[in-house]
Amino acid sequence: MLRFVVRRLIFAIPTLLAVMTMVFVLVRIVPGDPAQTILGDQASAEALQTMRERLGVDRPILEQYVEFMRGALVGDWGESMVTGKPVLTEIARVLPYTIELTVVSLIIGAVIGIPLGAWSALHRNEWIDYATRVGSLLGLSFPAFVSAILMLIVFSIQLRWLPVISGGNRATFGEWARSLALPALNLGLIMAAYITRVTRSSMLGSLGEDYIRTARAKGVPERVVIWRHGMRNALIPVVTVVGLYLGILIGNSVLTEIVFNRPGLGKLIVGALGQRDYTLLQGLMIIYTFVIVIVNLLTDLTYGLIDPRVKYQ
Amino acid sequence: MTDHVDVLPEASRHPFIDQLQKAFRNNKLTGVGAVIFVLIILVAIAAPLLAPHDPLQQHIIARLKGPSAEYWFGTDAYGRDILSRLLYGARVSLVISLTAIGLAMVIGSIIGIIAGYFGGMIDLALMQVMDVLLAFPALILGLIVVAMLGPSMENLIIAIALTAIPPFARTARAPTIAVKERDYIEACRALGFGHPRIIVRHIFPNVLSEVLVMGSLWLATAIRVEASLSFIGLGVKPPTASWGGMIREGFENILDNVWLSVCPSMAILLVVFSLNLLGDGLRDAIDPKTRSDS
Amino acid sequence: MIHPGNPRVEPVLDVSNLTTSFRIGGEWHAAVRGISFALQPNETLALVGESGCGKSMTALSILGLVPKTNGRVEADHIRYEGKDLSRLPDEEMRKIRGNGISMIFQEPMTSLNPVLPVGFQVMEALRYHQKMSRGDGEKRALELLELVKIPSAKSRFKEYPHQFSGGMRQRVMIAMALACRPKVILADEPTTALDVTIQAQILSLLNELKAETDMSMIFITHNLGVVAALADRVAVMYAGDIVEIASVNDLFARPTHPYTEALLRSVPRSDRDTKTLYSIPGAVPPLTRMPEGCRFAARCELAIDICRRQNPPLETLPAGGAHSVRCWVRGDHDLTAMKEHADV
Repeated sequence: MLRFVVRRLIFAIPTLLAVMTMVFVLVRIVPGDPAQTILGDQASAEALQTMRERLGVDRPILEQYVEFMRGALVGDWGESMVTGKPVLTEIARVLPYTIELTVVSLIIGAVIGIPLGAWSALHRNEWIDYATRVGSLLGLSFPAFVSAILMLIVFSIQLRWLPVISGGNRATFGEWARSLALPALNLGLIMAAYITRVTRSSMLGSLGEDYIRTARAKGVPERVVIWRHGMRNALIPVVTVVGLYLGILIGNSVLTEIVFNRPGLGKLIVGALGQRDYTLLQGLMIIYTFVIVIVNLLTDLTYGLIDPRVKYQ
Repeated sequence: MTDHVDVLPEASRHPFIDQLQKAFRNNKLTGVGAVIFVLIILVAIAAPLLAPHDPLQQHIIARLKGPSAEYWFGTDAYGRDILSRLLYGARVSLVISLTAIGLAMVIGSIIGIIAGYFGGMIDLALMQVMDVLLAFPALILGLIVVAMLGPSMENLIIAIALTAIPPFARTARAPTIAVKERDYIEACRALGFGHPRIIVRHIFPNVLSEVLVMGSLWLATAIRVEASLSFIGLGVKPPTASWGGMIREGFENILDNVWLSVCPSMAILLVVFSLNLLGDGLRDAIDPKTRSDS
Repeated sequence: MIHPGNPRVEPVLDVSNLTTSFRIGGEWHAAVRGISFALQPNETLALVGESGCGKSMTALSILGLVPKTNGRVEADHIRYEGKDLSRLPDEEMRKIRGNGISMIFQEPMTSLNPVLPVGFQVMEALRYHQKMSRGDGEKRALELLELVKIPSAKSRFKEYPHQFSGGMRQRVMIAMALACRPKVILADEPTTALDVTIQAQILSLLNELKAETDMSMIFITHNLGVVAALADRVAVMYAGDIVEIASVNDLFARPTHPYTEALLRSVPRSDRDTKTLYSIPGAVPPLTRMPEGCRFAARCELAIDICRRQNPPLETLPAGGAHSVRCWVRGDHDLTAMKEHADV
């Protein structure tokens, strides 16, 4: 198992290197001078030159590349071109907000989506099933910012239940929950739409299997047949797909953070793009790639918990 | 229980036609989705005829008005007619998404077919690149590309196409590999047919249906991504109307007038939902689980 | 010990006029058509016929496992321990399944749940029916695995089905079926999916177990060779009808229905040339296209006019015993009288 994890991490290195190279190239093919962007139109030629030297963008491109890769690997991701603070510090400051948002959304999505999908499968071709199928299709048709704005209008502006700006206040648990509620619900409901659909179809598959008939023939109560025998098997594809959907969730969290004005990686990346903060941008890209590698690994490890046929070697 | 669908190109008509019939017959919502989407396209084409006002004409005295007989959906912060801007915004949304997905379909299919058909190192290299692109959340990749290249209609198309190429490559690759192994392809080679001819005549028809279905689903995603980028401020330049941009402006004035953001939101939702209904029905119809392949 | 047709001994299972239908394209079609039989204590009744004859459906109907969404089970009664299973509420039926009546399925590869340990799957019925504690359940389940001769059962208790071979999985299935010491076992082609040598092992295991306990068994098979080795009585089914029912000796000595004859002729035998091995022409008609009259008529060499018009009743042969057959030609019918009657 440990060997499997180590092996998988080693295999992830080429992907990580490829993404980093891609990021490096992308950041540098951009028209415009980063020093100019940072200092503005009124900057003097000397100031621009000093800034270029500070940023290291005056050196040959290959040298920059080697320096960038070396730095990234030893954990020296440079300083933000705008704030001057280390990139890692900037990221570490907002990372917990994004992680808590993503994890809570994922939990909401699973808690709603898995039972709903199973319920829909159990009532196949009844009105409940049709309603769930159309409802989940509608749910995943929402761009995350559209649903976020509609929620904001309903819960914060019309009903005034929750704050308009979710700010990520964490002074007390109550404040924390109030500021997390709408963003997490927004992402969670979209996630639930996706999870409902996979769960429904995989549950339909597993309920048609021979071992379900065997369980019924043993006189196991129907509740146990469905949840222990049907669901455990149905969860295997659900786990795969949830791993894949995490990309959608991360993309959607950018929009959610903007609408609810909540700190996080998404707001940081939009800010970095606006200010052409290349170093910060590079750091963020590496973090995103790393997160995706870790998620894929966790997905594979989760299989092992559900499916005894999976062997880690 | 399962309809027999002949996937061999000897069939007098393409199996996709049968699959289309099956999709619309088995699920009425597929038809509803198709009708709504076609109507939206027609409305977008006819926008200059339908729009009651000039979408760019500002009326300083009629700012942020609610719905009225004059302005059905109200006016925005510059006094521009929301309905007219919605109609023109549909054009922007659809042109960008359709072009981007069209490009992604063509490029992605070519990459997928080449990778699947020739195999070996070509396959490995192409798919490795696709996997790296795929590893990134579509929205973040689009965000970076547009931010770097600068917001414009062309760059939006490039960004969205780039995020959509990998899934099409994957979709086209699988059936290519399956068909390549068939005996009649061997026979074609033995008869001395060249690769281009085999690919165009025999491989492509087998890839077509799955790529088209993916296309309808990814068109929905493309419209979402375009709107999202516009909402972030990376869409077509103002004052041109785009749905995402309208929501952005509406969001800035959300405490004064919710119509500004609600109207374009509903428009986006309607298009994306109709495409998802259509794509979902089509996907069910070509699902390998309900298809017999021999 | 065996009491075929002896009215003084109460049968363990008494099926009367069982009809199981499925809705296909909006119409109901009977897969099992008004069949009746009684299973005596410690008796093995073989249900024989080609696939698609309604044998498995008969077993599933008895256990109440026919899918309710498109299936329907009707019967005058299915009597078991004074209860009519055809009218039992779901929860009462559940208490009988796996407890009083249990079933062994054909496909050991897919009939065990891949994500649960085999020991646990054997134990499950004990936990729900006999309310055994976990410890007692495990102990009994282990005994069962040993009873069905799984080598080093203790160490394999926590293993998963994919770690077992087909024959071993079928032994696990048998252990599961035996768990609550049922009165009736429904064995649905338990050896069909297995290699020939493994088949023999499983059959002798079933024979041994039957001798050791007092259970009765309905053994479903298409293989008459297996029937001779195991059964006390045989019911031959064709397209949802029982066409012949007799003790195993009577049936092999005097096969009467043309379908039974044909089945017997198609059994490979070592004393005959395999080149001349008989195969019955045609196939069982699909549910949606059942013919009028005798359902075997289209494939029958002896078929006469009436066979195609009217389904013959199942009637006891005059020779005695309990040998019944459903055939105009071979049964005890006055065909001339029938013909006149039909002409009127």
